[in-house]
Amino acid sequence: MSARSELRVRLGALFSRRRLDRDLDAELAFHVEMETARAVAHGFDPAEARRRALVAFGGVTQAREGVREERGAAAVEDLARDLRIALRGLVRSPAFSAAVVLTLALGIGATTAVASAVVGVLLRPLPFLDPEELVVVWETDRASGTVHEPASVPDYLDFRERSRTLAGLAAFEGRQVGLAAPGGEPARLDALAVSAEMLALLGVEPLVGGDLPAAAHLPGAGGPPAVLLGEALWRERFAADPRIVGRSVAIDDVPAVVAGVLPRQADEGLRRVLAAADYGGAFGGQRRQRVDLWLPLRPDPVASPRDTHPIFLLGRLAAGASLDAARQELAAVAADLEAEHPENAARGTHVEPLREVVLAPLARPLFVVLAAAALVLVTACGNAAHLLLGRGVARRRETAVRVALGAAGRDLLRHHLAEAALLALGGCALGVGLAAGGLGALRALAPADLPRLDSVALDPRALLLAAALALAACLAFALPPTAQARRRAAPAALLGARAGAPSGPGGHALRSGLVVAQVALALLLTVAAALLARGFWTLAAVDPGFRAEGVLKAELILPASRYPGDFARWPAWDEIHGVRRRVVERIERLPGVEAAAAAAYHPLDRGFVNSFAVVGREAEAAGWPEIRVRQVDAGYFAALGLPRLEGRLFAAGDGTGRERVAVVNRQAARRFFAGRSPVGQRVRMWGQEWRVVGVSGDERVHGLAEAPPPALYVPLAQAPARSVVLLARTAGDPLALAPAVRAAVRAEDPALAVFGVEPLAATVAASLAEQRFVLLLVLAFAAATLALAAVGLYGLLAHRVALERHELGVRQALGATPRQVVALVLSRGARLAAFGLAAGLLLAVAGSRLVGALVFGVGPGDPTAWALAAGAVLAVSLAATLLPARRATAVEPTIALRAG
Amino acid sequence: MGAEGKTGDVLQGTLDLLILKTLSLGPQHGWGISQHLLQVSREALQVNQGSLYPALQRLERQGWVEAEWGLSENRRRARFYRLTRAGERQLAAETDSWRRFTGAVERVLAGAR
Repeated sequence: MSARSELRVRLGALFSRRRLDRDLDAELAFHVEMETARAVAHGFDPAEARRRALVAFGGVTQAREGVREERGAAAVEDLARDLRIALRGLVRSPAFSAAVVLTLALGIGATTAVASAVVGVLLRPLPFLDPEELVVVWETDRASGTVHEPASVPDYLDFRERSRTLAGLAAFEGRQVGLAAPGGEPARLDALAVSAEMLALLGVEPLVGGDLPAAAHLPGAGGPPAVLLGEALWRERFAADPRIVGRSVAIDDVPAVVAGVLPRQADEGLRRVLAAADYGGAFGGQRRQRVDLWLPLRPDPVASPRDTHPIFLLGRLAAGASLDAARQELAAVAADLEAEHPENAARGTHVEPLREVVLAPLARPLFVVLAAAALVLVTACGNAAHLLLGRGVARRRETAVRVALGAAGRDLLRHHLAEAALLALGGCALGVGLAAGGLGALRALAPADLPRLDSVALDPRALLLAAALALAACLAFALPPTAQARRRAAPAALLGARAGAPSGPGGHALRSGLVVAQVALALLLTVAAALLARGFWTLAAVDPGFRAEGVLKAELILPASRYPGDFARWPAWDEIHGVRRRVVERIERLPGVEAAAAAAYHPLDRGFVNSFAVVGREAEAAGWPEIRVRQVDAGYFAALGLPRLEGRLFAAGDGTGRERVAVVNRQAARRFFAGRSPVGQRVRMWGQEWRVVGVSGDERVHGLAEAPPPALYVPLAQAPARSVVLLARTAGDPLALAPAVRAAVRAEDPALAVFGVEPLAATVAASLAEQRFVLLLVLAFAAATLALAAVGLYGLLAHRVALERHELGVRQALGATPRQVVALVLSRGARLAAFGLAAGLLLAVAGSRLVGALVFGVGPGDPTAWALAAGAVLAVSLAATLLPARRATAVEPTIALRAG
Repeated sequence: MGAEGKTGDVLQGTLDLLILKTLSLGPQHGWGISQHLLQVSREALQVNQGSLYPALQRLERQGWVEAEWGLSENRRRARFYRLTRAGERQLAAETDSWRRFTGAVERVLAGAR
């Protein structure tokens, strides 16, 4: 009957209200015309006839309103009724409804949370003025092949002066400073020293106060220095008091005037620039992203000559200048400088958009996680579809009865669509909650150097997309059962009262296809997770070269105010040597401490590099890359278990006034002393000669994933440093030592801030935070997908077993053994799983390439990972098959016969 | 009907019944329906345009009548309504219940005399 015309009316009402109104007007006009014609026939003149016709009719407008009202009210009324009935139906089968809603919520929640994070971290523009114009200018070194080196101060000044493609060029560097707190523990703060151009270049406005005064940036500026506070520090330490401007705070014991407060987002991503350098600067081991203090940078070409590269350069492209133009121009400037200054031999420039430096390294891991979450959603939609299809099949009799009683196809359709829509909406509502929780979990799990995650909010677009997919899946899979019910004439289904042994090959093919797709996706994700896990374990098992277990790390920085270091007297910095030695001695005496040591950097801090030469081979050394210089005390090698490979390591006798000695690591011995023993040779560095006394093992100071670099160890007593890392080895829990170590420092100098107190093993673990983050998420999503696929497979098989109780009973009555029945069901499950695995293998080949770049140590084709993944999927599929198989044998032959 | 404007359920149902009955004689456009009712009721039932067209819309939505554009007797484009199978069943059911209703009312009135 008029199902189609009904749909037409309905859709018409929705989508082409104007056309409907035109039709109505034409109809009413026709009516008035006919009425007029009748009046004329009765002898009225046409104008009068028309007037009478209109009066007789009570007005066109009234009729139009009436029809419209009828249309509108009907649509709303019917929708409300459909939803009410659907809701009642869903409440009547709570298990079904809960299963669909939970499944969808899981997928929607996971996808929305991860997509929000990815959009918020990767795609949001950086919070600076015209951020796409900001570029990082690196120096390159053809000798060592590095392309991400900080610049020298004289180079910076020359770039700034000679470049026309850059509208501005600012310099900055990372610092750590102590902030004295009246009555509290002194704190170590992460600071950024910035040149005068920096804030204007970024387009950052202070929250209160103003920029650093211009005079503060002049070399040798007199008077108390000025500082800017970061918003977070201002709120935590100074209760967001705007009157802080103009007041004085003690930075490393030196009073400094607060010029203003910078908003929270002012530092966004800048510290990732520091971390992107080939030779990580002073922040090597620090992973925090926040900048608490902004200090003036004084680019002084005299104090910092061309052969040291301490500063990072941030430029803004001039109006109309392209990135390529800037690249070419700066390369030309660098070439000129190379010709002008021998220190610039082999030096060039490399210009990258700021956005790329900050975010590009995050793109692949985040997109892998996003892809994994999306696959969870797809699999979840598959399961919801299963459940809807299964419900449609189970309700075939109910549907048939309704059709027989006169329900129109459109009624069934509307009913099923309303149900599907309600389920999808429920999934969305719960999904939003899960997404909010998921985002919180992401923040907790994320590595500390993942920028901007704190300011990420749930993205409505991500939610909308996920919800649309869920809704589409629900609606799409609500349709087939309806269509089936309508195709299948009522009588057949009514008479097939045995809950439909002929359950419809169409429905089964569809559901089998769904299961195969789910198993395939599960395999894809499991392979990805297995590869990541293999990579992670390979990485975690890498020998860092030092023994982190049982070692507690604590860090100090000795401020110049109390620990003077006059470069004219270097290395005879007695106060610095004295406090370091006394603190180490105090720690050595602590109960439970087996060894204590001090170094300028901890073994996972890149520290710094320096050029050097072997005496007698200076010409050759001109082409050598710079070497990592590690200042350590005599106890360092023992405390960290570094092996002595040749000669001797440092001893207490290698003191300040004695002959300068050095130890090279194995890498340096191989690279720079090829074939000869380094022991007894002399190296030149810092304008001084050092006699190599021994060779030690290698430490992976660049992190576990990177090969250990060549390194040169010099005694702290002969090369003092303001930064002091204390290392204490104990047989017990290193963290238990922490209070005693803090107390030891306080006993020497209560004003010293002790920071970075953690077991060295935790430092090592933190260096793997990004890999762990990606692994955990992909692992969780793989597990979820696998579970969903297993539920899908189980559901399909269990459903068939339930439908075929009769047939199974007959088979058993005719002598089939339980084993044969089990085999029958198992073979079905195995077939589906095999198809799924085959399809999944193809997908996984493609997917493993995407993941491969994130995997350390093993290739994307790693057989162990693939075997593990396939085994896991197979085992889970088998488990999902076994249960229905067992149930099949439980069918009592006689009962089945009787039921038939 | 007539000029009362909003009609109550009973009256509304009655108009529906009258339209269905009219259409059972053959497809007709809105004006034709109103003319038919006017003539058959000897001008007692003057159907207001503001009631007729909403009623037709209602009947169409319920699937009792179908509408399509055609040519009127004087070669004008007009919208013709036709009774559907469901409409026929509805007409039968409604006629039946109307007869029972009026019969009951008649009996009450007769008894009250």
